[in-house]
Amino acid sequence: MNFKHFRAAAFLAAFASTALALPAFADTAIKVLRSEPGNEGEKALYQQMVTAYEAEHPGIDVQFEYLSTEAFKQKLPTLLQSDARPDLFYSWGGGVLADQAAAGFLKDITADVATEWADRYSAAGVKAFTIDGKIVGAPINASEVVFWTNLDLAEKAGIDIAAIKTWDEFLAAVKKAKDAGVTPIVVGGKDKWPLHFYYGYLALREAGAKGFADAIAGEGDGFASAPFVKAGEDFKKLVDLAPFQPGFMDTTFEQASGMFGDGKGLFHLMGDWDYGSAKQASVSSKGIDDARMSVLRFPAVEGGAGAADDTFGGLNGWAVSSTASAEAIDFLKFVNSPENLAKGAAAGYYIPATKGTEAGITNPFFKAMSEHLAVSQYHQVFLDQALGADVGATFNDVSADLAQGGVTPQEAAKTIQDAWSMR
Amino acid sequence: MNMSAFFAGLGRAVVLMLVSAFVLGPMLVTILGGFKSAGELRTNPFGFPQNWQTEFFSSILSDATFWRFLGNSLFISLVSVVLTLIVAAAAAYVFAQIRFFGARWLQAYLLLGLVFPFATAILPLFIKVRDLGLLDSYWAVILPQTAFGLSLSILLFKTFFEQLPKELFEAAWVEGCGYVRFFWRFTLPLSTPILATVGTFVFVSSWNNFLLPLVVLNSRELYTWPLGMMQFRGEYVVEWNRTLAFITLTILPSVAFFLAAQKYIVAGLTGGAVKG
Amino acid sequence: MSASAPSPARRWRLDDRTTAVVLMLPPALLLFTLFVILPLLDAGYYSLFKWNGYGAPSEFVGLDNYAQVLGHGIFWQSVRNSVIVLVVSIVVQMPLALLLALLVYRQTPTNAAFRLVFFLPYILAEIASGLIWSFVFDGNTGVAAGMFAALGMKPFFILADKDWAFFAITVVVVWKYFGFHMMIYIAALQGVPAEMIEAGKIEGAGRWQIVRHILIPQIKPALMVSGFFAVVGSLQLFDVVIPLTNGGPSNSTHTIVTYLYAFGLTRLKVGFGSAVGVILFLAAIVVAVAYQRTLNKEAAR
Repeated sequence: MNFKHFRAAAFLAAFASTALALPAFADTAIKVLRSEPGNEGEKALYQQMVTAYEAEHPGIDVQFEYLSTEAFKQKLPTLLQSDARPDLFYSWGGGVLADQAAAGFLKDITADVATEWADRYSAAGVKAFTIDGKIVGAPINASEVVFWTNLDLAEKAGIDIAAIKTWDEFLAAVKKAKDAGVTPIVVGGKDKWPLHFYYGYLALREAGAKGFADAIAGEGDGFASAPFVKAGEDFKKLVDLAPFQPGFMDTTFEQASGMFGDGKGLFHLMGDWDYGSAKQASVSSKGIDDARMSVLRFPAVEGGAGAADDTFGGLNGWAVSSTASAEAIDFLKFVNSPENLAKGAAAGYYIPATKGTEAGITNPFFKAMSEHLAVSQYHQVFLDQALGADVGATFNDVSADLAQGGVTPQEAAKTIQDAWSMR
Repeated sequence: MNMSAFFAGLGRAVVLMLVSAFVLGPMLVTILGGFKSAGELRTNPFGFPQNWQTEFFSSILSDATFWRFLGNSLFISLVSVVLTLIVAAAAAYVFAQIRFFGARWLQAYLLLGLVFPFATAILPLFIKVRDLGLLDSYWAVILPQTAFGLSLSILLFKTFFEQLPKELFEAAWVEGCGYVRFFWRFTLPLSTPILATVGTFVFVSSWNNFLLPLVVLNSRELYTWPLGMMQFRGEYVVEWNRTLAFITLTILPSVAFFLAAQKYIVAGLTGGAVKG
Repeated sequence: MSASAPSPARRWRLDDRTTAVVLMLPPALLLFTLFVILPLLDAGYYSLFKWNGYGAPSEFVGLDNYAQVLGHGIFWQSVRNSVIVLVVSIVVQMPLALLLALLVYRQTPTNAAFRLVFFLPYILAEIASGLIWSFVFDGNTGVAAGMFAALGMKPFFILADKDWAFFAITVVVVWKYFGFHMMIYIAALQGVPAEMIEAGKIEGAGRWQIVRHILIPQIKPALMVSGFFAVVGSLQLFDVVIPLTNGGPSNSTHTIVTYLYAFGLTRLKVGFGSAVGVILFLAAIVVAVAYQRTLNKEAAR
């Protein structure tokens, strides 16, 4: 009867699986968990470092594990609560890192690394991985969000990119582009976080470092206070010009990036990684010619409390879990050394958070961005990270609502403040 | 309505073709997508590829880990099917054939699995599996999956068993056949359509399951294919062409299982068993 | 036939009944209790806390989470959406599935091919379904775009529209799940004794009459069960929504479970998510009981 077949199959499979049993453990294992970087080159680079390290340290087995970004974020809470927790794991910093520290899942490595870190990494970088005065990780890279600009389309619309210094000038340029039949901005509205760049940057310009610190500390009206409302109004001025591509709320970041690479829009407000993704996602796989592209810093807002060279972007790195061994920390020092970071930078994967690396970067755009980052007095980490998973998601939602004209600036600011105070 | 055979046949053909188009049109995107470049996939999803990029399919097929993932998924799904069929059919049989005190309450109890969203159970399940020491094993996936599939399976089996002719059981009873033996010798053989159907449902839902394996499996060696597919989802860019190629390849075992199960769907009860 | 069987044989039969129950029921009960009911109870417990999933729940908030859920506009929108899916499942999906089952249930090679084709959407992993349909609905390059162009209308981005996006989702739901119901009906139709159909033909019944007076009444239990799954399952809809719209735009296409997932789990508000789960559980029980009662009334009539 058919049951015999089923049973046979099951037993066979059972024997097969035990035959392929896992190898016995011999060396000290160091487990590193990273979200998928999305390019094979970076993984190969890590593999090289691992091989080099293992050659120098016999008896150590470094295991790199990759998970896709959403899977990584979903799995981390459960993983950190099991014996399979990694020693080192990738982190976007911000509120989530703070939550992990508060729950006791991170290791305080201050005593071990404080002086070394201060020598190696930028102050902002170390700060991003210091929670309550305790160092819990190491920064890898900083990214800046900028307006990637298509010079051909700018010419067509008669816009002088270099002359755009203020938000009003930017709005004028957008209007000019529209009049010339050019789609001013491509944006991945479906993913929401690309929209939060606009609202976040404007909030940064209006409120400045102090404004954010006050809001986070719960001073006054917090995120519902005047600068944040004004930022919403600034954003509304842009939205009212209908600057985005048609159906933008159904476009993912990746599609928008590809569209930019195909020359379908004048501006794309995105981080440094867009250099690579716009090429990869474009029809030709080559994107826009480097010479026909430029990078425009987010304009200043007149009357805003924020400095014109404050930067908005990511500050990612490694977090050290509570049960990490001394060997793991040693590996961290190695894999995140300035020399090794410079390799990644030279290959164009990221802008390292190390001091004085601008010289080593060859890509002109990354070079410009790393100079911005070096000069910036305040680097605001992506708000959907900095504010924690919950309020961060609310910030994204609200940005999307503003982009569709669905809420007023006052309502938007209030929603964020409510979420913050209830977190 | 004209009932002549010709119009009925024509009507039938038209309906079948229309629905097939509705179904297959979008499926084309999956299969052809694995042959396109990223940009082309975005701008020309339904057409034939301008350049047939075979590298995605070939790199996947030549990757040993792909076969490993497929093997893991296959083992987990097959064992889930076997376990569910045995456990659910047995329980459904009891409800269909035997009246005892509390039967209705137990039936309602077992239906609770249908009204409980799996997403809510993820964290508690993880803790349960961890505390049972099953974490990072095939059973960590097989057992919860089977448990959640029981509500659906038991209900389907019970409905089917209740439709079987009562005379059959009475005749066997007089011959001295007990409940358990009747189950093995008569009920199951007559239930091949529903066994095949439930088996297919269980196989498919196990095959495509992502969330549970993600949370309870840690070793790469044990990964099922949805977890293996994650390597094509980078931090910012998803390699949709590779993903679609991967998915096209992984549909095949489910299709094979379905076709194999189809053989056990036989038209009508065979005369012998009923008349005897 | 005999009024009293000999004592030893009678005792043996009683034991046999008990043996059957004791042997065949507990495995299901054990597995189910351990991996479904206990986690359900745990979720109920978590719903009383404010917890981010790390460590153990420590911040007891009583029924606060429930109050928050019930006061959240997006939650009610998701309830409305789930009800829409329920109605569509019963009014569109089931009749379509029944029609197709009647057309292809007989065991022929072409029928087997059609059955496979119709079942394919159910087999396809959700992530692929979402991607595919987002291409279909894409205003620039999709099938929808082609249709609009042919009609001379401006491209309409249905998935970007707050009011129409969910309609698009219901189309995908029908596409994905009608095969499931169809298979249930086919299994039931296969179980209809050939003699009954033969008898009908001998009586001179036409094909439509055979369907109406023999086949459909015979598979009534399957129809009721499939209806039950449609009702209960539509409340649980999750898999196709995430890849398609992720609940957007502006949270207008959430179903109850995607709402749970987006606002509970991914925001690390496990207590909140558990509260939604418990509310859904209770609501689904009410709906299921109402469904059964209505059916029983129908049967009694």
